[in-house]
Amino acid sequence: MTEAQLTPDSAPACAANGEHDRGAQSQQPAQRPLFNPPIDIYESSEGLVLIADLPGVTIQSLDLQIQDNRLTLYGRVKPFLPAGAKLLHQEYAEGDFLRSFILSDEVDHERIVARLNAGVLEVLLPKAPLAQPRRIQVNGH
Amino acid sequence: MAILQWRQNWEPFHDLERQVDRLLESMRFPLPALRLDRHQPPVNLYEMDEEFLLTARLPGTSHEQLDVAVNQGILTLKCNRPAPQGVADERFRRHERIWGTWQRSFTIPERVNEARVSAEFTDGLLLIHLPKIEEVKPRQIQVVATPA
Repeated sequence: MTEAQLTPDSAPACAANGEHDRGAQSQQPAQRPLFNPPIDIYESSEGLVLIADLPGVTIQSLDLQIQDNRLTLYGRVKPFLPAGAKLLHQEYAEGDFLRSFILSDEVDHERIVARLNAGVLEVLLPKAPLAQPRRIQVNGH
Repeated sequence: MAILQWRQNWEPFHDLERQVDRLLESMRFPLPALRLDRHQPPVNLYEMDEEFLLTARLPGTSHEQLDVAVNQGILTLKCNRPAPQGVADERFRRHERIWGTWQRSFTIPERVNEARVSAEFTDGLLLIHLPKIEEVKPRQIQVVATPA
């Protein structure tokens, strides 16, 4: 049984970051740490659904792209702290989000849709339609 | 990363794979607080000149599902992060996000003006502003000489 597959890419995040648009990098000279956002992947009737937690990421600061069969999400979190803020207690580290996935050929790249709401990204990866069996009419002469 | 390849006809391995994945995911976190407390969304606390700022990561929550209360020096956060609707457990290939209802309380310093505590929620990030009470200025007491 062939199925649409979505495999999180284990390539190191820093390597992928190097390929990212350098315009954004030059605006923020200080290198911000990158984190793997937590994700869920489930099967729906149309295909696979990928959900990623990206708190603090807006539509403008999210970069979702497909190159060959790799889907990369890169979400930048706008720093909001005023200068001189002192950290008293820390349970998470400030930074941006980066994660990439390898898509199988069964995913229809053209019909991928994504939406972002309250810091949660939902990407629908539809299955490519299978070739339908076609009956060939045999004609007499 | 999946250690075991999950196949549909090997149901027992499904749970095991998830558990191993989750264990590995949690170990990758460098922060001890996160490792122990992963069932609760993480918070940070900052101090500025005028206020304290508590930030919480609550992606997938709407502000109606969020309850922030201050009472007698205790700040209580309650919230609900709903699971994806109508998705059976066995349809999940990967599950790393946290769902559910949770509640956390924090003792806030006495220097905070409880009446002026405010909260804002945008893009899954909750900011709670805890303004400091203006320092009471020392009052000079005039010593009046009483005639003997």
